[in-house]
Amino acid sequence: MNLPFRAFSAGFVLLVSVIVTPAAEKSYTIAVIPKGTTHEFWKSIHAGAVKAEQELAAQGTTVKLFWKGPLREDDRDQQIQVVENFTARKVSGIVLAPLDSQALVAPVVSAIQSGVPTVVIDSDLKSDKQLSFVSTDNFKGGQMAGEFLAKQLGGKGNVILLRYQVGSASTEAREAGFLDALKKVPGLKLVSSDQHAGATRETAYQASQNLLNRFGKDVDGVFCPNETATIAMTKALRDIGRAAGKVKVVGFDSGTQSVLDLKNGDVQGLIVQDPLKMGYLGVMTLVQHLQGKPVEKRIDTGVSLVTRENMDQPAIATLLAPPIAKYLKE
Amino acid sequence: MPRFSRLLQTGGPFLGLLLVCGLFALTEERQFIFTGGNLKNILTQTVIVAIGALGMTLIIVGGGIDLSVGSVVAFCGVLGAKLLVAGWSPWATMLVLMAAGCGIGLVNGAIVAGFRMMPFIVTLGMMGIVRGAAKWLGNNQTINAPQDSPVGGLMARVNPGGFWPLPWGVWIVLGLALVMAVLLRRTVLGRHVFAVGSNETASRYSGVRVGWVKLSTYAIAGLLFGFAGLLQMSRLTQGDPTVAIGLELDIIAAVVIGGASLNGGAGSILGSMIGALIMALLRNGTNQLGWQTFTQEIIIGVVIVLAVGLDRWRQARGGR
Repeated sequence: MNLPFRAFSAGFVLLVSVIVTPAAEKSYTIAVIPKGTTHEFWKSIHAGAVKAEQELAAQGTTVKLFWKGPLREDDRDQQIQVVENFTARKVSGIVLAPLDSQALVAPVVSAIQSGVPTVVIDSDLKSDKQLSFVSTDNFKGGQMAGEFLAKQLGGKGNVILLRYQVGSASTEAREAGFLDALKKVPGLKLVSSDQHAGATRETAYQASQNLLNRFGKDVDGVFCPNETATIAMTKALRDIGRAAGKVKVVGFDSGTQSVLDLKNGDVQGLIVQDPLKMGYLGVMTLVQHLQGKPVEKRIDTGVSLVTRENMDQPAIATLLAPPIAKYLKE
Repeated sequence: MPRFSRLLQTGGPFLGLLLVCGLFALTEERQFIFTGGNLKNILTQTVIVAIGALGMTLIIVGGGIDLSVGSVVAFCGVLGAKLLVAGWSPWATMLVLMAAGCGIGLVNGAIVAGFRMMPFIVTLGMMGIVRGAAKWLGNNQTINAPQDSPVGGLMARVNPGGFWPLPWGVWIVLGLALVMAVLLRRTVLGRHVFAVGSNETASRYSGVRVGWVKLSTYAIAGLLFGFAGLLQMSRLTQGDPTVAIGLELDIIAAVVIGGASLNGGAGSILGSMIGALIMALLRNGTNQLGWQTFTQEIIIGVVIVLAVGLDRWRQARGGR
């Protein structure tokens, strides 16, 4: 009767010793969980995480990274499963970009209760349990866009804000920041701020066309809070011959097309985030905590204004084309 | 049926489960995979596919198929979140969701039985209709359910490190599985479902009301799909009109791995439950091994083809 129990407890002791030993050697396993894995943005985050891993290795701290997106991209339930599975895997910590600010709260709280500290990156979570929130200050980015547009227009003119989508926290903060900056310049008149570009390039293109059909002749400046909206609005302006600086365009984020538009002078400015830094600081913050050092609750990874003039400076060029290949040579 | 192949039918899924367990036991990660807390994890992650598989087994044994499950789960999730926000009680919400699922199933069944149309096409159409309706109902947004609603507790894992207590959802699946197994094996309706699935014409000549049998399989399955929608909402604490895309394929895979034949007339509740477990275990284990996402998809794909291959082989032997 006693044998199974003894075998079980022997196994248990073995198990505990296996778990405990590596921790003593300052080695950590960290799961980095993005919203998806195919977009350029997430590859930059991955590269940043690997950069942190390499730097820590040089300092004698071994970190084993798990890079794991949800099985089906943008499926909240799948991302919850990934968080749960790594919690059970007893990783030293998790770096998570939550697909939803509410749906991911329960698994993160449960991870933290089981002793797996979690750093949230990119998008916020409706909880105060996470170790830290590492992301762009989107409100500041929006303000920066508003100030730049005001300068481009000499302080007066008609302005359009093409919003992104209801319920998307990051872009709503950018829009709020933009409107905040606009309020300080009395010469600027907001002619439209209630249209939404929607998720795809196609919906954004249609919304832009509809807006320009109504305001195309009067508008002097436009702000678009994300990449697809920026590209679509620029294309729509080109169609009616109002691009190339006749209407000043300020956009957010950079992609191959929007950088090309910037170079050709159809877009005057892009507010650009630093995803590589986000991935890097996400892992670094977690390791700092694991080593017993205090960490900040909120870490801003910064935004930069990119124009045709400064786009070739080394620091800016790195932001437009992050050195992904340097870190991800699989 | 020769004894060996009967053994394969009942024991095949079990062997598969043991095989997968055995493979994971060979890895270093076994210390994490085979713990009480993780077992609870796997069971919780199986719940929604398992409830769907209960209904799908009934439909597939009866010779049909239902591709609209994922959409029904999303639709009922959104509807449930809206009702809870509007102040409905959890019980009333549950009943409405099951009624909604059942209603969609009735429409599917009525078209399939009444117009003698291919269930694949009918439910493919319904998949689009209900998915669109879910987005319409949710105005293209996720609807956040009230955080303090007791519905949220159905899938919550209290004490995440240990096996006990299991979430309510797991117990509910066990209970429903028992009911469905009895229904399929011990009732007249169950025998008729098998008969219709094996040979529709013969059943009709023997006096089985084929249309009614088909209609009831879709309606009963719809009740379960509606309930799965409630649990999906409980897990996300919100109704998300884009959730569960492709869930129907996971469910069909679970049923097929569990030994059911897509030609109808064969399948068991126990097998389907084990099929669902195998899929969740594979996903969970490969996650913890740190394998890339695409390897999981490839492995699950291979398992499905193997399971169907086994089914063909079994039929060929049984037919001799």
